Amino acid sequence: MLIEIETENADRTRDVGEALASLLQPRDTVVLTGDLGAGKTTLVQGIGRGLGVEDHVASPTFTLVREYSGRLNVAHVDVYRLERVQDVVDLALDELGGPERVLVVEWGDAVSDLLPEDRLRVELTTARDDADTRRIVITPHGGSWAGRWERLEHAFELFRRNDGDAEPSGAAG
Amino acid sequence: MIVVGIETSTPQTSVAIGTEREMLGMVSVAGKARQESVTPALDQLCRWTGVELSQVGGIAVGIGPGLFTGLRVGIETAKTLAQVLAVPIVGITSLDALAFSVRHTHKLIVAVIDGRRGEVFYAIYRALPGGVVRGSDYSVATPDHLSAELETLPEEVLAVGDGAILYRNQLEQLGSGVEFASTSRAHPEAASLVELAVPRFLREEHDRLHDVVPMYLRRSDAEIAWDNRERSAGI
Repeated sequence: MLIEIETENADRTRDVGEALASLLQPRDTVVLTGDLGAGKTTLVQGIGRGLGVEDHVASPTFTLVREYSGRLNVAHVDVYRLERVQDVVDLALDELGGPERVLVVEWGDAVSDLLPEDRLRVELTTARDDADTRRIVITPHGGSWAGRWERLEHAFELFRRNDGDAEPSGAAG
Repeated sequence: MIVVGIETSTPQTSVAIGTEREMLGMVSVAGKARQESVTPALDQLCRWTGVELSQVGGIAVGIGPGLFTGLRVGIETAKTLAQVLAVPIVGITSLDALAFSVRHTHKLIVAVIDGRRGEVFYAIYRALPGGVVRGSDYSVATPDHLSAELETLPEEVLAVGDGAILYRNQLEQLGSGVEFASTSRAHPEAASLVELAVPRFLREEHDRLHDVVPMYLRRSDAEIAWDNRERSAGI
């Protein structure tokens, strides 16, 4: 099972995050993977928008953790600067943001043993021939996404049809 | 001797003031703002009991195992108090405090704290006159593993703590039967810390300030296995 999307600019990557957010539930974990500049934080900005976060979502690379409140709270973590497994344990990921929050971990692949088994993996890759285009691949791990997978596929079906001409959020005028 | 107890290992924060003769007061509160409640609770307790901080002769603090976020606040508050008031400090594990709270039993005691991520922190105790003695290591394991370990014990068991309550179904599958302590004992209480600490203060068996740190049962010395970070950074 996987969903693959191509986005042609940062706004569209943000929209992917927003579409994803519509399916997120309390206690979900989203792992973001991709090189520096691949757009991980951009995608989280979209998740934040989709969850009704009003604060600006910025990279947590230097703060390690940023927490936001919206329809669901978001704990946004970046483990890029960490060297030791214990550093990640010390972040107490399962205690951040209270039980009703969504956890988003940039570079989470490297510490997947410390993450809940049930999680969504989102990989961003920069296209070789086009610095603006991103290939985004979403794969589920664990049981909780099986029940939501069809709805997620449907959300991205609509997203693709939308083609970026219109605001997928239906930005009310 | 007046002792302040601060316990923040679990979703309940508990602060107590007591002496070797009696508990003067305790505030225990669970919920979202619990980490911010340590100092206000102590402040309020001082007012209610008429105790001035300058009268305090020792600080007892819960050191986990438990939730990091709470423990950090509790332990830092306790160490700051000990330093500012220039009084000794004693660290006590959350599992010891839990077991101590149900010491009036002839059964073995297993203290179990929810460690999140499907695991529990636990230790096994025997009740003795006046207290409990620990008969196992402090451990972290899945509830099923704990259940299997309890099955090998030759005696009946009394289970106490939020982990025991959360995983009651798994632990109840035991043939011999496990008794569960009341939900009012689900969390370690600061009063237990005070009671456990007083004899140590009287015997001058305190801890050195910098030795009072959270108990990490999941400690790992491993490096993160980065396989793509250097490539990404162009190193």
